[in-house]
Amino acid sequence: MEKVELVKVEIITNMAKVDMLRQELGKFGISGMTVYEAKGCGVQLGTKEYEAETHSEPILLDKQVVMVVLEERELAEFLDFVEKELYTGHIGDGKIFISPILNVVRIRTGEEGTDAIAEGKAY
Amino acid sequence: MEEKKLGLGSVIATGVGLVVATSCLLSLGIGAASIGITFIITMVIACVLNMLLALSVAELNAVMPNLTGGLAQYTLACMGPFITVIVMVGGYLVCNTVISSVEAAMFGNTLSSVFPEFGISGNIYSGVLILVLIVLNLKGVDMFAKVQDFVAFALIFSLAVMGILGALHLGAGEEVSQAAVLSCDFTDITGLCGLGFFLFIGIEYVIPISKEVKNARKNVPMGMIIGLLSILIMQSIMVIGFKNYTPWEELGKDATPHVLYGTMLLGKAGTVWMAVVSVLAVTSSVNTVISSLGYICYGMAKINLLPAFFLKTNKKGAPYVGILIIGGTIFLINITGLSGTDQLSFLLLSGCVFWMIAYIVTHINVLILRKRLPKVPRTFKAPFTPALQIVGILGTLWMIYNIDSDAGIRIRIYRLCLFTFIPFVIYAFVWVKKVVKKPLFKAYPVSEVMAMEHELYWEHHRKK
Repeated sequence: MEKVELVKVEIITNMAKVDMLRQELGKFGISGMTVYEAKGCGVQLGTKEYEAETHSEPILLDKQVVMVVLEERELAEFLDFVEKELYTGHIGDGKIFISPILNVVRIRTGEEGTDAIAEGKAY
Repeated sequence: MEEKKLGLGSVIATGVGLVVATSCLLSLGIGAASIGITFIITMVIACVLNMLLALSVAELNAVMPNLTGGLAQYTLACMGPFITVIVMVGGYLVCNTVISSVEAAMFGNTLSSVFPEFGISGNIYSGVLILVLIVLNLKGVDMFAKVQDFVAFALIFSLAVMGILGALHLGAGEEVSQAAVLSCDFTDITGLCGLGFFLFIGIEYVIPISKEVKNARKNVPMGMIIGLLSILIMQSIMVIGFKNYTPWEELGKDATPHVLYGTMLLGKAGTVWMAVVSVLAVTSSVNTVISSLGYICYGMAKINLLPAFFLKTNKKGAPYVGILIIGGTIFLINITGLSGTDQLSFLLLSGCVFWMIAYIVTHINVLILRKRLPKVPRTFKAPFTPALQIVGILGTLWMIYNIDSDAGIRIRIYRLCLFTFIPFVIYAFVWVKKVVKKPLFKAYPVSEVMAMEHELYWEHHRKK
């Protein structure tokens, strides 16, 4: 199998940010993304930032996950871009999970690795 | 998603409009009359130091965006409640009140110089104006909100046109033949840095509009820098105009130098032009201060740095305690006989010292946050940190040291500032220990300061 250096970036953020992020990712040159709704909480267990005491049991809040696969060499610049776009300084800005990808296959053409996530060739 | 409407031009215009006030013209007149056109060098030094401040403020806004209290909240997150109360609550309120008092006095001086035949003292004019503005603010009427921008731009436009006419020898009045340079001694030039600093002070007021600005991370800092540069150019042209049409000696003594210059340049038409524009500008800016300081007191009470009685509002929703205290103080300062050039200049410089201390604390805040939160994704980073902040701090200290070229006046200014700070130190100590009940110098977490902005924060925390 051809060696690929791809990473998966999963950005968990609140609902209001996704539309803005979608537009900005387009400007960054990301050609594909997957967005799905999720429920969850972070270390504050779903406590709102203005509340005085942390909840004793987790409250699951509505979130969205934006999943993007890109080449590892683009990762640092991409993270810097996303962090700055999502930052407000308030609790609930979200988290970014990064994991390695073994391979990607574009089903229509059978292309693998970076070819599978790049602009399609004229097959 | 909310559409952002303001571009770079609006940021520059807002910055220039907020910084330029009629009291600046008094400093410009006094400074130019003291050393001639070399005062431009003083202005360049002061402008550069204010640019450094603009860059530091822009970075703090990137770390803690969209805060209403601005400098106070940054300091709360960096140095804790004690310093915040003394410097940002006490110092900031005092300097704004003092400088507004000077603005109000300029109103009285302008009217009494335009209508000498009535024989009414300037204090009466300014006292009546302040009372009217207090009543309007208590009634929740902001009759100047809609014309505020127009008035500010009319002032700037007038100054630019009059400056160019004077500098290019195009005035209708008689030209004055006098030395361009009265002193090029370095200590004379730096001795006026306090006055020069006042010409550019207040650029941080641009920050609250940043959430409305397109590409704010680039346009806000750039707009502040270009705004300061525009003010420098405009005021420099004015100084050249002064040289061509106004005898230095008369300029230095006059309590309304802009009206004098208008008269010398264009005769009676110039007098009326400058008087009308400056009266409108003073009225709108004093109105803004009475209103906004009332709300700042309200905001400070909201984050528990001032007593809760500042949270009281009347039927019209106006925070009447703050309005009455601030407006009343401005009234008292004016009615007790504030009118002479020396008194006005003394108060301006004393107000400047408080403001400069707030600026030094702001530079230190940037360094603290760089150390404590090095990885926070800053959408704007001040270049050459920490050198930029260190130069800013040392430069501002140097300005405080050179607040006036006269050693006697300097000591009086320091003494006044010290005596003003003492009650704030006592208040801050007692308040933080007994009411806030937090360690004096322990910084609040950034997340807590951000959370305090939320309208439900105190509702939840007081229940606890």
